[in-house]
Amino acid sequence: MEQMKVVLNDDEMPTQWYNIQADLPTPMSPPLHPGTGQPVGPDDLAPIFPMNLIEQEVSQQRWIDIPEEVLAKYLIWRPTPLCRARNFEKLLDAPVKIYYKNEGYSPAGSHKPNTAIPQAYYNKISGIKRIATETGAGQWGSALSMACQMFGLECRVFMVKVSYEQKPYRRLMMKTWGAECIASPSTLTEAGRQVLAEHPDSPGSLGIAISEAVEDAVTHDNSRYSLGSVLNHVLMHQTIIGLEAKKQLEKLGVYPDVVLGCAGGGSNLGGIALPFVCDKIHGKNVTTIAAEPTSCPTLTRGPFAYDFGDLAKKTPLLPMYTLGHDYVPAPIHAGGLRYHGMAPIISHLVKEGLMEARAYNQLDTFDAGVKWARSEGFIPAPETNHVIAAVVEEARRAKEEGKEKVILFNWSGHGLVDLAAYDAFFEGKLLPYELPEEEIQRALKATNGFPRP
Amino acid sequence: MMEKKDDYQKMITRCPKLGHELEFSYCLKEEGDLPCPRIVKCWQDYLPIEEYLKEFFSPEDWERFQKREPKDKMTTLLELIDLAKKRKDKPSSL
Repeated sequence: MEQMKVVLNDDEMPTQWYNIQADLPTPMSPPLHPGTGQPVGPDDLAPIFPMNLIEQEVSQQRWIDIPEEVLAKYLIWRPTPLCRARNFEKLLDAPVKIYYKNEGYSPAGSHKPNTAIPQAYYNKISGIKRIATETGAGQWGSALSMACQMFGLECRVFMVKVSYEQKPYRRLMMKTWGAECIASPSTLTEAGRQVLAEHPDSPGSLGIAISEAVEDAVTHDNSRYSLGSVLNHVLMHQTIIGLEAKKQLEKLGVYPDVVLGCAGGGSNLGGIALPFVCDKIHGKNVTTIAAEPTSCPTLTRGPFAYDFGDLAKKTPLLPMYTLGHDYVPAPIHAGGLRYHGMAPIISHLVKEGLMEARAYNQLDTFDAGVKWARSEGFIPAPETNHVIAAVVEEARRAKEEGKEKVILFNWSGHGLVDLAAYDAFFEGKLLPYELPEEEIQRALKATNGFPRP
Repeated sequence: MMEKKDDYQKMITRCPKLGHELEFSYCLKEEGDLPCPRIVKCWQDYLPIEEYLKEFFSPEDWERFQKREPKDKMTTLLELIDLAKKRKDKPSSL
């Protein structure tokens, strides 16, 4: 019988988180306070975070001990299994071995509790009694609700009103775990009241919900705020995923060629990838990939050819699915049209060439997710479908290149409370992207004369 | 264009910020008077988004939208802390 998964014993679970800041070849620039222009200090953040988490945010220490109390809660579902996706491999018919960490095993169904639990714990031991946060679809809100309940903290979640109305199940999960879930904008805060005064029917936004949560934390005694992604300490808590995966792969005598995660705010990607980026920094040959959403077409529709990776033609020729190095989807203006929701650590790694970013269209991601569900059984969260689409692409590349590859990715959560998204996909309500024929022809011309792999 | 506009408003895509499906009409008003900062990135391949936005918004709002500088999460948090402190010290009459 072939081995399908590796399960660590409880006493094999890592007892430290990994902090990549200790190993970065080029240190990250410190964030500056918008008011003073000076580097942000602990006092600036003290109104919303307990000091122990602020220390972690700026720490340069490579390993941080996971407190016993946190380990005890992790053990409810961790270590999570490392699984081999043999059925998916068969479907893809490519020379790849695909391993994935199933983070959908957690009680909340995603990787989010990996940081929700330590955040609740550190607040608790700092004497904090209640935590406020914001949430969209509710993955983070539900994870934090559970964590607060575990440590006897009150939890108030400002859920974007349009999400509150469309996503009742995670709202009910929050309630079940004892949290107070409020539709934002609300009348509980000045921020919410101001929005409602101007736009009584406002459907809310993540920006408004964050404003409400921060105000709630700052204006209540013994209260703090909690964020489920983006920040350094959040990514560090998630590294338990990658650290476990390394131990599990070692038991198989395997090391990955490619490590992938989907990138929203960067926490689940950071969780699986950062321990491997550490290896890369120290000389290992491993590629880490961030799979993010786009409305642009996947480049797999273009020809597979050697091409430049940039407009300036300065990078070496790379074999890739390409629409030509001069392909720019549509004009995107600078300034207000950019979106800065990505973890600074991830942005830094991409900038430094230690991580690669790829973008996938929503239809391709759902197509990949459905293929996964029909071969491996587990129904992925729609976000997780992005990384599965990246795995599909990576397998296709391996086939084209005739190279054997070991792929590791973070299966970041299940989609059992996101089935409406699948319904929209099946019913054809999600928008298709059709690459115009003339664009394909133009792309083919652009790579004429380049060698083919 | 008006007829098309109505059709556009009901088009659905997945919102990467909120994590579920939303109609285009939401993206147009995500920031109250202004659209979501991601609107062009999310919709550019499905409809003539720039032309639509220029027609939908006044020239002043379009200008405001284009010039808006996005902030990273840390900057946003620090600004919100300062704002919340002021509100704590001096609550408004709303």
